[in-house]
Amino acid sequence: GSAGPLARTIRAKLTAALQPTHLEVRNDSPLHGGPPGAETHFGVLVVSGRFAGLAPLQRHRLVHEALRAELAGPLHALQVTAQTPQQWQSHPQNNPPAPPCLGGSKREKRRG
Amino acid sequence: PAQPLCGFSNAVVQILRLHGVEDYRAHDVLQDPDLRQGIKNYSNWPTIPQVYLNGEFVGGCDILLQMHQNGDLVEELKKLGIRSALLDAEKDKEKK
Repeated sequence: GSAGPLARTIRAKLTAALQPTHLEVRNDSPLHGGPPGAETHFGVLVVSGRFAGLAPLQRHRLVHEALRAELAGPLHALQVTAQTPQQWQSHPQNNPPAPPCLGGSKREKRRG
Repeated sequence: PAQPLCGFSNAVVQILRLHGVEDYRAHDVLQDPDLRQGIKNYSNWPTIPQVYLNGEFVGGCDILLQMHQNGDLVEELKKLGIRSALLDAEKDKEKK
């Protein structure tokens, strides 16, 4: 299907923040019981020279920083694969698939 | 947890199980909304699950999976005095 508004925002913000040489944005919401059009669970593959010399934790923090507002809002889960261009060239890979959903969102305690 | 309700949390549980690590503290944030937000503030990390080794934040499911695949997890467990079960599995392989 066509990319929804959150997918477009994710793409735009990651592009602006990290100038990736390769970027994939995957909407996994249907895998987590989301209705059509849901945008809650995403996976991103970001290939950027900005990650050089950074440990995985630091790379993921850069990605999170770019999406801070979304992660405080509708973006409930974000799988991240963060590679330098050198890594990507030696091991081109698809975004690893999301682990199967176990339905947790349906069992949240809600306030009031 | 015996029955994680989240695929990402389950992935963490299964990875730890592969290494023979089953004795750890787990906190179900679905049962505690204050914990759910508090731990995100504490680690400045926006999602759950969150893995801590010896009180130090290590990352989420993606990072733990990476550590498992590249051998770093075996090393980090060793630093905590935990011998990964995978080391014994390797030994068994070599005997055959």
